[in-house]
Amino acid sequence: MIKIKKTELNKFIDFLMKDYDVYSPADVGKKAAFKKINSAFEIRHDLTNTHLSPKDVFFPQSEVIFKYSEDGLNVPNRDEKPIAVWGMRNCDTSSLMMLNKVFGEAHQMPDKEMYKDPYWKMKYDNCLIFNQACNEPLSTCFCNWFDGSPFAKKGSDVFVVDTGDHYILEGISDKGKTFLTNYKKGEGTTKDDEEKIAELKKTAESYMPDVVKIKPLYDKMNKIWDEPIWEEISAKCINCGACTFVCPTCHCFDVSDEGKGKKGKRIRLWDSCMFQIFTREASGHNPRGLSTQRVRQRIMHKYNYFMDNYEQHLCTGCGRCVQVCPVNLDIREVIKQILDYKSIKNEDN
Amino acid sequence: MQQLINKVKELIKNKEVDVVIGWGRGSLPFSATPIFVETEEDAGKLIFDESCRNNLTTYLTKDKRRISKEYKKIGIVVKGCDSRSVVLYAVENQIKRENVILIGVPCNGVIEKKKISQLVEGKEILDFQIDGDKIIIKGRNFEQTHSIQEVLCDSCLTCQYPDAPEHDYFIGTPRKEVNVPEAYKAVDEFGNKSAEERWAYIQEEYSKCIRCYACRNVCPSCYCNECFVDQNDPQWIGKTPEVTDSIIFHLIRNLHIAGRCVDCGACVSACPVDLDLRIMSKKVEKEIKDRFDYTAGTDINEKPAMASYCENEKQDFIMG
Repeated sequence: MIKIKKTELNKFIDFLMKDYDVYSPADVGKKAAFKKINSAFEIRHDLTNTHLSPKDVFFPQSEVIFKYSEDGLNVPNRDEKPIAVWGMRNCDTSSLMMLNKVFGEAHQMPDKEMYKDPYWKMKYDNCLIFNQACNEPLSTCFCNWFDGSPFAKKGSDVFVVDTGDHYILEGISDKGKTFLTNYKKGEGTTKDDEEKIAELKKTAESYMPDVVKIKPLYDKMNKIWDEPIWEEISAKCINCGACTFVCPTCHCFDVSDEGKGKKGKRIRLWDSCMFQIFTREASGHNPRGLSTQRVRQRIMHKYNYFMDNYEQHLCTGCGRCVQVCPVNLDIREVIKQILDYKSIKNEDN
Repeated sequence: MQQLINKVKELIKNKEVDVVIGWGRGSLPFSATPIFVETEEDAGKLIFDESCRNNLTTYLTKDKRRISKEYKKIGIVVKGCDSRSVVLYAVENQIKRENVILIGVPCNGVIEKKKISQLVEGKEILDFQIDGDKIIIKGRNFEQTHSIQEVLCDSCLTCQYPDAPEHDYFIGTPRKEVNVPEAYKAVDEFGNKSAEERWAYIQEEYSKCIRCYACRNVCPSCYCNECFVDQNDPQWIGKTPEVTDSIIFHLIRNLHIAGRCVDCGACVSACPVDLDLRIMSKKVEKEIKDRFDYTAGTDINEKPAMASYCENEKQDFIMG
């Protein structure tokens, strides 16, 4: 564990930039997102959560898979430096671990290895994550429903605490520990610092909402797939894709060819289960043609289908969807509504 | 708003309506959320105040068209802009006017939360209260008081029709038509800039679009069964957030709502990346007003500007 003065953060970031492309919360138009920075002065320190999630760093909204011309295919290779991300939060690091299950690890079948996504791996595998404790969680935060907490270290390479005048950095992974050892200019930490961290942690945790026990959700959802509750939940949804695009865990994508004459490119881009066209088949038939079906899909994928595949929920409780929804369809309320719902088929719940 | 609740209870009791679409209290500080009221008991959840941002008429069309099929008589609580959307639907044959019961509410403008966010420099707002013409904004370690004018939606600041021009019932006292001398000030100022400056601004703005289509989906006037951006055979537009494609999306949307936009500002509030969507739609609105002397949604007996022809219309855009 080392500490660095806030006034010397720029030196630390410069050191980081020697070996890494550094991303951090920064201004993008009137909002903040994770963006590649050229100096520490671009970092936005005033936010708990950025408005757009960091998934874009590793899984961009649109990404060229290959370019083609008469000369053949050209697959882009990442010859830049590995990625370091400063200013992630626990909900963000957890989301990357979930996405890594899908893209990086793929679930193992008994007799064969599933496809692993090279575009994800070339960015995620060598990255260095600085996970910053949330001193002031927002009123929309609910990571504590999903085993998260403002000071959780899961998924960090380096865990960072802002203690006012200093940042205290703790190496968590081997990669993180080695990096801190190589940075020679940090000061040692004292008992006072540890007390300060404990105090900040206590305050931060006091801001969190009461925990909703999420465990029964999975079984409940197995039973209610065709029940009228989904119409109630989805009535006000207008099926825009704002929630899915700000979500750090939503990862559905489309593949599109953009070409002219004899050359062009194949692009992978974010898609959204909220869109009508998402599941429309070539015949014109659409298995999820109704708004209700699409809202059910989104909620089921988050809290049921992903459990089937990876034994965890596909939600980190970051609250971004709660903040942006134009009709205030609050996913926290949806969870409570499902938990409170009495199935019309099963008397035992 | 007891009068509103009583009226809705009465309508439900007398079976004048099968459902009433209105606003209820939302889950965020001082927020409202659309609710669908079918029982007298649920009518008690209705509210109307400066937080009632959404244009609820959007639920009569698009994917939500099924609501019109499920219920024979639909009641909707409407502000001025919302009632104009219903007029638009009627003149465009999307609904039968007699199937929709409009309950007008006196609107003094609704709040744009993005403006409040700017006033407190992005700090989290935990609560706010309205006290006369003042708004008190509270956060974890701060409290600020501002004039309510500073936080009203831009469309409310230039609104000429605060009372529902078309309604079946009206709750409270109408404000009557308001004269706004500078309704097109922002458009004119923008128009006076050089072409290069305007182009640079539009490019800069739309380069931030994430193509979530929240603007389109909240828009009451955007009700095509299949939007051109969703068509893929032929594909009219690239699907990535590349700025040229985003500009095409927004400009075509602007042209599609020419003479049809009621300036409710729903798109502006819905945009998760705070784009300036109104400058272009207001420009188009002004063009339609100048050329055809038409304002969308104000007269249920008038044919839409883009669906009628008069010999004495200005034709300089054709003749050069």
